Amino acid sequence: MRSDKTLYGVYADDDLLLGAVARMRREGITIDEVYAPFPIHGLDKALGLPETRLAVTAFLYGLLGLGFAIWMTWYMMVYDWPQDIGGKPSFTWGENMPAFVPILFELTVFFSAHLMVVTFLVRNAMYPGARAANPHPATTDDRFVMEISVRDADKPKVIALLKETGAVAIHLKHPEA
Amino acid sequence: MSSHYESPYREPLVLGDKTYRQISADIVKSVAGPAARSWWIAFGISLALSLWGLGCILYTIGTGIGVWGLNKTIGWAWDITNFVWWVGIGHAGTLISAVLLLFRQKWRMSINRSAEAMTIFAVMQAALFPIIHMGRPWLAYWVFPIPNNFGSLWVNFNSPLLWDVFAISTYFSVSLVFWYMGLIPDFAMIRDKVTRPALRKIYAVLSFGWTGRAKHWQRFEELSLVLAGLATPLVFSVHTIVSFDFSTSVVKGWHSTIFPPYFVAGAIFSGFAMVQTLLSVVRKVLRLEDYITRLHIDYMNRVILLTGGIVAVAYITEFFIAWYSGSPFEDYTYLSWGAATGPYWWAFWSLISCNILIPQLLWIRSIRRNFVWTFVISIVINIGMWFERFTIIVVDLSKGYLPASWSMFSPTFVDIGVFLGTIGFFFVLFLLYSKNFPVIAQAELKTILKSSGENYKKRRDTDAQR
Amino acid sequence: MASAKKYWKGFGDLTSDPDSEAIETREFPTAIPIDPFLNGDGKAYDAQASRRDFLKWAGFSTAAATLAACEGPVVNAIPYVVKPDELNPGVADYYASTVYDGHDFSSVLVKTREGRPIKLQPNTSSGHYAYPNTRVQASLLSLYDIDCLKEPLIAGRAATWAQVDKRVRRDLDAATAAGQKIVLLTAPVISPTFSLLWKQFKQKYPSAEWVAYNPISNSGAVAAYQAVYGQTALPGYDFTKADVIVSVAADFLGDWFGGDHSRDYALRRNPNQAMSRHFQLESNLSLTGANADYRIPIKPSEQAQAVAQMYRAIAWGQQTRDPRIRAAIEALKKAGPAGLLVSGTNDGDVQLLVDAVNRKLRSRAYRPEAPVYLKAVTDAPVKGLISDMKDGRVGVLLSHRVNPVYDAPDSSAFVAALKNVKTFVSFDRRRDETASLAHVNAISHHAMERWGDAKPKIGIYTLQQPTIRPLFQSRQMEDSLIAWMGGVLEGVDAALANDSTATYIPPVTECKLTFHDLLKKNWTENILKGDSTWFSALRAGYYERRDELHPVSPADIDLSPALTRAENRYAKTGKIELQLYSEIGMGAGAQADNPWLQEFPDPLTRATWDNYLTISKVQADELGLKNWRDSKGALNGDRVNLSVKGRTVKNVPVLITAGQTYGSVGLAFGYGREKAGKTALINGNPIGVNAFQLYVDRDAIQTEVQIEKADGAHGFALTQLYDTMMGRGESIVKETTAQIYNRGKSDKSRYNPSEKLLTIDGKQPVSKVDMWAARDRSLGPWFNLSIDLNACTGCGACVVACHAENNVPVVGKDEVRRFRDMHWLRIDRYYASDMSYEKAEAEGRSEGRAFFRALEQPEENPEVVFQPVMCQHCNHAPCETVCPVAATSHGVQGQNQMIYNRCVGTRYCANNCPYKVRRFNWFRYAENDAFDFHMNNDLGRMVLNPDVVVRSRGVMEKCSMCIQMTQASILKAKREKRPLRDADLSTACATACATGALVFGDIDDENSEVHQLHDAEKNKRKYYLLEAVGTQPNVFYNLKVRNKIE
Repeated sequence: MRSDKTLYGVYADDDLLLGAVARMRREGITIDEVYAPFPIHGLDKALGLPETRLAVTAFLYGLLGLGFAIWMTWYMMVYDWPQDIGGKPSFTWGENMPAFVPILFELTVFFSAHLMVVTFLVRNAMYPGARAANPHPATTDDRFVMEISVRDADKPKVIALLKETGAVAIHLKHPEA
Repeated sequence: MSSHYESPYREPLVLGDKTYRQISADIVKSVAGPAARSWWIAFGISLALSLWGLGCILYTIGTGIGVWGLNKTIGWAWDITNFVWWVGIGHAGTLISAVLLLFRQKWRMSINRSAEAMTIFAVMQAALFPIIHMGRPWLAYWVFPIPNNFGSLWVNFNSPLLWDVFAISTYFSVSLVFWYMGLIPDFAMIRDKVTRPALRKIYAVLSFGWTGRAKHWQRFEELSLVLAGLATPLVFSVHTIVSFDFSTSVVKGWHSTIFPPYFVAGAIFSGFAMVQTLLSVVRKVLRLEDYITRLHIDYMNRVILLTGGIVAVAYITEFFIAWYSGSPFEDYTYLSWGAATGPYWWAFWSLISCNILIPQLLWIRSIRRNFVWTFVISIVINIGMWFERFTIIVVDLSKGYLPASWSMFSPTFVDIGVFLGTIGFFFVLFLLYSKNFPVIAQAELKTILKSSGENYKKRRDTDAQR
Repeated sequence: MASAKKYWKGFGDLTSDPDSEAIETREFPTAIPIDPFLNGDGKAYDAQASRRDFLKWAGFSTAAATLAACEGPVVNAIPYVVKPDELNPGVADYYASTVYDGHDFSSVLVKTREGRPIKLQPNTSSGHYAYPNTRVQASLLSLYDIDCLKEPLIAGRAATWAQVDKRVRRDLDAATAAGQKIVLLTAPVISPTFSLLWKQFKQKYPSAEWVAYNPISNSGAVAAYQAVYGQTALPGYDFTKADVIVSVAADFLGDWFGGDHSRDYALRRNPNQAMSRHFQLESNLSLTGANADYRIPIKPSEQAQAVAQMYRAIAWGQQTRDPRIRAAIEALKKAGPAGLLVSGTNDGDVQLLVDAVNRKLRSRAYRPEAPVYLKAVTDAPVKGLISDMKDGRVGVLLSHRVNPVYDAPDSSAFVAALKNVKTFVSFDRRRDETASLAHVNAISHHAMERWGDAKPKIGIYTLQQPTIRPLFQSRQMEDSLIAWMGGVLEGVDAALANDSTATYIPPVTECKLTFHDLLKKNWTENILKGDSTWFSALRAGYYERRDELHPVSPADIDLSPALTRAENRYAKTGKIELQLYSEIGMGAGAQADNPWLQEFPDPLTRATWDNYLTISKVQADELGLKNWRDSKGALNGDRVNLSVKGRTVKNVPVLITAGQTYGSVGLAFGYGREKAGKTALINGNPIGVNAFQLYVDRDAIQTEVQIEKADGAHGFALTQLYDTMMGRGESIVKETTAQIYNRGKSDKSRYNPSEKLLTIDGKQPVSKVDMWAARDRSLGPWFNLSIDLNACTGCGACVVACHAENNVPVVGKDEVRRFRDMHWLRIDRYYASDMSYEKAEAEGRSEGRAFFRALEQPEENPEVVFQPVMCQHCNHAPCETVCPVAATSHGVQGQNQMIYNRCVGTRYCANNCPYKVRRFNWFRYAENDAFDFHMNNDLGRMVLNPDVVVRSRGVMEKCSMCIQMTQASILKAKREKRPLRDADLSTACATACATGALVFGDIDDENSEVHQLHDAEKNKRKYYLLEAVGTQPNVFYNLKVRNKIE
């Protein structure tokens, strides 16, 4: 049964919103999305959002960077064009490794950080000039908006709940409108 | 409201009767409104300086490094001094935003944005010097590990200079994205608040279409946390590697195992000093007195005291070891009797007084919390740290192993011009930033408004009385 | 005629053979096959080539063009189209010849590449004058001097040789008719064949007179020899026979009489054999004094007395009054026949006493029977000449290689007298102070262009042959004389005389008999006498006739008048005395326009581009004269006005020097030249002051000197700013005495302890301490350079040799002052200082600043040590590690290699070099008019060694261990399918070293000399510079041993 209407409950305070979210979910109402001007601690728990795996990817990217650094130092210093540089044992990677530690570290960080940011942008579908989809400009300022799509049957109940939980305004959006 | 509880004995970090909207308004005001007259004057001066510097750089590249005061014994002087100085200054930004984030220090929030901006601009100045100090800067790309047109001749990964290449570029790019990611929600806020369509368009592009969805915020916080986790070792590694330029060499006075920690401490020392300098100005010019408070400068001054102490200990250690070694080769290292009484006595003593003696004033609470004093001392520290690098490089090089090749250095107008130019360029960038960017991480700040905002604290007190 | 200057592209140009002319006219030697694309009448249609062919060609040429575009700028190299048989491109040819410019004499091997002389090397096969000194080596540069005269002049305007000949002969005839003298004024000429020619010239012009003139006089010594042995010459010496050398101000390692004693002297300075003991009594610190075991500072005026006392003591056995010289006299007495007394004074009486002393000792080292003719002229004729000129008795004056207007003390008189000379003909290539006054400039050849011979000492004959065609329209002086004697065919002469546009035809084609023919004839008939052939003599460059050596019988003359004269010579002396001297670099100043010599640092003061008044510290303090360093470390000094007998030289810079006797000052000849050329001027003013102005009565010792402080300061360009080792002696210059050395030969820990480092398992010698496993270096050669601090006299021949071999740029005084000289090889000079912390404490100077000041201050009369320092080619090179682009790395033969075109110029390597031997190209030094030292014009660049790249701006450079030479030897050995021999291997510096202080070779080759030296067991003196740094150099030193008694 597809929802044909979307309700926006606008809150003026993050704590009220947090309470409202909890209440709604207790009442069995699914909240589609919440827009907030700043990160609200515990909101993702309240909404029951799954843990993000960004950190895991960062770790993997780091490993990638480390591996690349090892390969690069080995290929350039030891394999492709070995030279006697200051009498250093530059003909075996292992013995010469201490000299490569800074490179290894920096490339690990480099890969990890940048690739993670790229992932972040991709997953959020963010890019320069992307269209902003927040329902109301104030959601980046001081308003907290809860987006719920409802069937006509549930509408009054939801509106009542919104009012109850301290929404300062309620908007109804028709799909065609 | 329990989640926001903070001891009433803690001073508020945000003064005045601030609401979420008020914060946004304060930020947008400076961005949307016309620039102040003082801003234009400052900008004009900085621009003139940077153009003069550009002229000197072009002259150097056109004629040869010979237009600097260097000689066969002293191959580096102002160029690398300035490089290390700028890199050092850069460190505070990352430290504030990353390390303090990990420690959940709320007070960072109103200053980290500017501190990071300072980092990025300072590192840009720093990165200039390794390039222009080359005899053949047009071949600078040879320091990157790319196959060259003479066959497969690669870079030398044993060289600290090459480590620098990787360290600086990583540090710069990571700081940049860290900074920018933090800016995105604030750009979005401005986008949604400004009225001029042109501005709106610009900030729409800059904000990457940020909407503030709950999931995005979740990812955003994770991202900030991990980036902070990465940036923290990075910031320590960078100056460690810079110090390797010296400590892995065989030059007396350079070849010293305490350099890495000591350089990092020195970097934070000078970095916080520069933050103090900048913020003292910014808070006045942009009227951010409510956000950058006595508490903030107090905290930063404490960091300065700590790192300054580390530096002082390092100096004393160096001096002691130079004497204790009993080696005649140590007689003239940058911290030794030879330096203190030799031709560079003035550099030596200005280093000691600027970096050790004068900062001790900060033990006094009233001075530590006084904006004017802080401003003055921060300037002094910046000067002192420049002299530290100067003595390390020039004094140690000027009196090496063989007395037959001892010499001295005196700068030419080009040396000076290039340095002034970078200062000018730095301020050009910083002024542009302070005018057009959200100088305070408002999204973050809003999260602590209830706990550390003055009016909320008041309200809590009144509730308590009731 | 101005356009007649031409740079030959190949021998084809010169020998105008039809082929090369044809080639010049045609662009391509062979026609390019274009007909496939065009048919006969040059129309593209119905050509033989198909469209496909055309596309193929077009495609190829496009590809080729693209590829070409990838390359850097194209530099045109013009190949030999017709290669002369006698030379192979890329292969150097060597010609034995002789360089003699009237001042410096040497047998040389001229290294030529593609027909260009590019280096002068020792002619080691010759036992005499085999090693060219700094000046001789540098003289090559003036061959390619763009500023010298390129054609003969009459009254300053370009003329043809025909016109010159016509004019001069007319004047010669006129003079003869008028009964006036025809005077040839030359530097001392020692050419047997020229003497022959001169006889013939006198037949044609009986009134002709030949006057030899020596700017720095040996008159007294020559007179003394003449008096005793009845011949105009100087006595010979053999320093190898001397166990004890007592030198009274004789700078026999520098400029002294005939010279050429360094090698013999050094042979006896080897502590492993019987080492000679050397006493030096002098007032200026000379090169010789710096090498002495005992140096006794005396005032110039005391020299005569000193010799007199020695005479009294040795001839008459009297007691010596003067305690300072007693030791020297005792040593001489004890040595007897193995002793030698030499004196640098120009006082005939003193030289008579010296001769007597040596004969009394029966000194084996003193060899009057082997007279030296070099520089053996007396002053009398010159004095006569000037008066003759004044009274108009001279009709024609011919001058060759002399510059009296500059270097005659009474130059003004000479100039005045010159007005009464009808015709003044100069043969010199430069319009210097004298030549610029000439009516006719009949320019003569450079030494590289001319034929000639010489007889420097009895029984020694050397030949001089051209190694390049004359670059300009010069004609060697002898040929000019022949032409004027009427050697020229009348007909041709007349024709030329009428045709003023006629261009130069070299005398070779037109004379009945050239000097070359005469030379050949004279040698075959009178010199070789059938014992050898002309060509073998020419190949060798010299010929030795032992049969000319005869025992001499000294005339028995009463010496008591000489003795009294000598003792009263300087009865009345002023407070301060002046000793004039000549530097090893500039000498008498004939080559003041030579950039290599101007930039050559004086071995003792390390000063370039200057002469100055050397003065002792104490004296300077008394007179309130100061030296001080400016903010960039460069040294500045006060200036004084120096007056001698009414003559004053203004604004003489004062340089405080250790070793200068209190009560004396020194000033070097050879500077202050106004018309030497642009190099001798700095923004219009001559460099230095002209000491010849004070050379009153041609006496180098002036006892009545007034010094008054002048205002203004002078900026010196020193290449070394600190004189002492700052208490770091044991790791920089190790030294000991012969006593200790010989006693402790077995265990060297007593005089050559190896430096130890504290490791986890106790103290270990540095050589044992290593983080990494050493490479396997057994395969192929492994080059090392050994430097013997005992043999090194500091003469600096190696420095100039390195300059020439490696195209080292000259940077000029300002840049040297900025401490940016480019010498790859420098000779550090340290003055001993016995200052130590303990001593300082005793004197209460151990506190901070005072202590360091004390360390910096050399002693009043210091021991001196010379230490040649070039790249040490470390096996653990600090420079290699730090280069980000791997522009410097280690070679498989031990060299630390610098790859110029990979260098980006971070200068990190130079900072990290403990020896500070790396040099950075701060500017573009070649093809840059800001550095106007011959490298900014095509002609000047002809001196460049094509085997060594000219470094571009912004790159680091340094000693390469002459890898171009070693590689050439290796290739040669390969081509000849034989193993490398020790004799094949050398470097420019080792080749040039007269005393064998520098030994280069392969340590993997058991029978190489350097292998023996490298073996620490065999060679106890071996040590490394700054060994404790752990750089493991491939250059090692042999410690200094002084023959002293504790």
